[in-house]
Amino acid sequence: MAEKIKLSGGDMLMRSLHEEGVDIIFGYPGGAALHIYDALFNQDKIDHILVRHEQGATHAADGYARATGKPGVVLVTSGPGATNAITGIGTAFMDSIPMVVISGQVASHLIGTDAFQETDMIGISRPIVKHSYTVFNAEDIPKIIKEAFYVATSGRPGPVVIDIPKDMTAPDILFDYEYPKTINLRSYNPPVIPESNQIERAVDAIITSEKPVIYAGGGAIASNAEDELFALNEIMDAPVTNTLMGLGIYPATHERFLGMLGMHGTYQANMAMHNADLIIAIGARFDDRITNAPSKFSPQAKIIHLDVDHSSVSKIIGADIAVFGQVKNSLDLIIKELKNKINEYDKNKLGPWHDQIANWKADHGLDYELYKDASDTKPILPQAVVQHVYNITNGDAFVTSDVGQHQMFAAQYYHFDKPRRWINSGGLGTMGFGLPAALGVKLAYRDEEVVCITGEGSIQMCIQELSTCLQYNLPIKIININNEALGMVKQWQDMNYGGRHSQSTYQNSLPDFVKLTEAYGHVGIKIEKNSELQTKLEEAFSIKDKLVFVDVYVDPSEHVYPMLVAGESLKDMWLKKDKKT
Amino acid sequence: MNRRNLTLIMENKPGALARVVGLFHQRGYNIESLHVDSIEDISKYHFIEEELDIKFAPFEISKLTIQTKVSDSLMLQILRQINKLIDVIAVSNEESTYLKGVLINENIL
Ligand SMILES: Cc1ncc(C[n+]2csc(CCOP(=O)(O)OP(=O)(O)O)c2C)c(N)n1
Ligand SMILES: [Mg+2]
Repeated sequence: MAEKIKLSGGDMLMRSLHEEGVDIIFGYPGGAALHIYDALFNQDKIDHILVRHEQGATHAADGYARATGKPGVVLVTSGPGATNAITGIGTAFMDSIPMVVISGQVASHLIGTDAFQETDMIGISRPIVKHSYTVFNAEDIPKIIKEAFYVATSGRPGPVVIDIPKDMTAPDILFDYEYPKTINLRSYNPPVIPESNQIERAVDAIITSEKPVIYAGGGAIASNAEDELFALNEIMDAPVTNTLMGLGIYPATHERFLGMLGMHGTYQANMAMHNADLIIAIGARFDDRITNAPSKFSPQAKIIHLDVDHSSVSKIIGADIAVFGQVKNSLDLIIKELKNKINEYDKNKLGPWHDQIANWKADHGLDYELYKDASDTKPILPQAVVQHVYNITNGDAFVTSDVGQHQMFAAQYYHFDKPRRWINSGGLGTMGFGLPAALGVKLAYRDEEVVCITGEGSIQMCIQELSTCLQYNLPIKIININNEALGMVKQWQDMNYGGRHSQSTYQNSLPDFVKLTEAYGHVGIKIEKNSELQTKLEEAFSIKDKLVFVDVYVDPSEHVYPMLVAGESLKDMWLKKDKKT
Repeated sequence: MNRRNLTLIMENKPGALARVVGLFHQRGYNIESLHVDSIEDISKYHFIEEELDIKFAPFEISKLTIQTKVSDSLMLQILRQINKLIDVIAVSNEESTYLKGVLINENIL
């Protein structure tokens, strides 16, 4: 038998991370994490990306996780390092992204003494983590790492924090190291197996439905269920809508795709949901941006809800049929059962439903040809910017985004045919997410086009990461949809506050983004004329080896439509500034 | 709003109680009464050991009882949220129990 090796806590941590398949960590050093950083220095299996702010580390790890499906790993120091990471942890938590955050802590004997850079990280992060650990004994490090990765990635994924007092990683105290092979987490719920009678009931409901809608969200992406969803709909031939978090799980260019639903969903998606007789919710949680007033939600629909998390089902909208389990498995079982009863299923009976949807689309669907009007008599439309980016990248880029109007335009006008390509903060709605997330994605896929569609407000929240992009040579493309305002805030003020733009404009204080980008060592391009939009965007994308920041000045008065009328149902939408359904 | 009783069996670990209590606080529910004991005599919980094929040692698990005022409709949601906590082995109200994620239609705690 091999002799056990002796390692320090810091070395055990690095070894354990390597055993978990970690090859990249996003972080920022500081006093309480210095033993760990020394252990990092002394190994060559794991790369470390030095960000410029701990929020950037968490978003970068998050972007990496969303694009690859692997957990993102973050390393920060105690106190301000830990608190700076909080926004990114909350972002990952709301979108169920697997992440392991390791925070240094002051030495054990100092905890509770208001020591320098002491903060109760476990306490601060408690409501926004799936679970957390404090290392009280250094020899527990391998076991805790093993558990943390299992918890973060299994069931409904989420962030896990591991707080490590400095003395636990002291270089001169050695322990027998052995990485555990099994996990003994007796109180953690095992993977759920779907009940067969629920599968049967789901299939019976599918067979009798004449107006079904498949409504798939981020849970379907987390479960890698794209093939199963596609296979199910090859049989069913139902209309499919995706949530903001679910875009890409069903090909957007498929004729059965309705577009996104909800607050800024397409007319046909929201109308179909409202008028459906059956809604099949797949890894989606009926949040308030989807349902509008829950009491008025889809009055005639029977609900089949597939989810891995018991607490998501019947939380807002009661499920008639609840199928618990990884949605990939549940879909598989539904497909099998539907195939058994295939002679009872007649997809032709959906004909009138498809006709109805086609009419809705013709009436008020989005105009995907806006970009064709390149005359300089008009200001640049933000929607047209996204359409050009879609065309230039052949619809095949990884697109990260920030939060605001530009995010909604990106979601509406970039058609995602594959999952994990659309990367945005849906749940927490975190401005500042886009650039660091793009950085994380690019590190995972160096040969792929990675675009960050952002706004001049959001980009300034983590703009320091431009420096990180230079250090690691990450030629991402940043498309700054510059409306010289906190556009989404301004839109709400236009619609609900009599146009009083309280603190939503900057009064000529915006930086020169081209110079700023150049100061960071990258290429900046400014676009102000409609007639130059296409050529200058093409020029930006033709530069392959450098980060390019494209600052596009767009029509500041543009609003995002459709928009749900607050407190009403999904059929109640603003379609234009002066037109409601 | 009725007074409702919840019983939990959970790992006797630092932080476990705070996670449970936090769920109430975040949703604005007041806790009317709360009691925690680490359990020395685990013989009472042999049925859990058998059901889950695990073994408890003395003082390894705690029993927590909470009384709170919530509407019936929110009761199940609270139960499910508590069930989701990693350190909770079982949780029940008057009529049902989640035992490591499986719903049983009676209070077995
Ligand atoms: C960190 C953070 N603070 C505040 C908000 C509220 N908020 C939502 S959208 C928005 C405006 C965003 O402005 P910009 O990035 O320029 O995007 P635009 O809407 O103009 O496209 C604000 C302030 C937020 N989502 N995140
Ligand atoms: Mg803006």
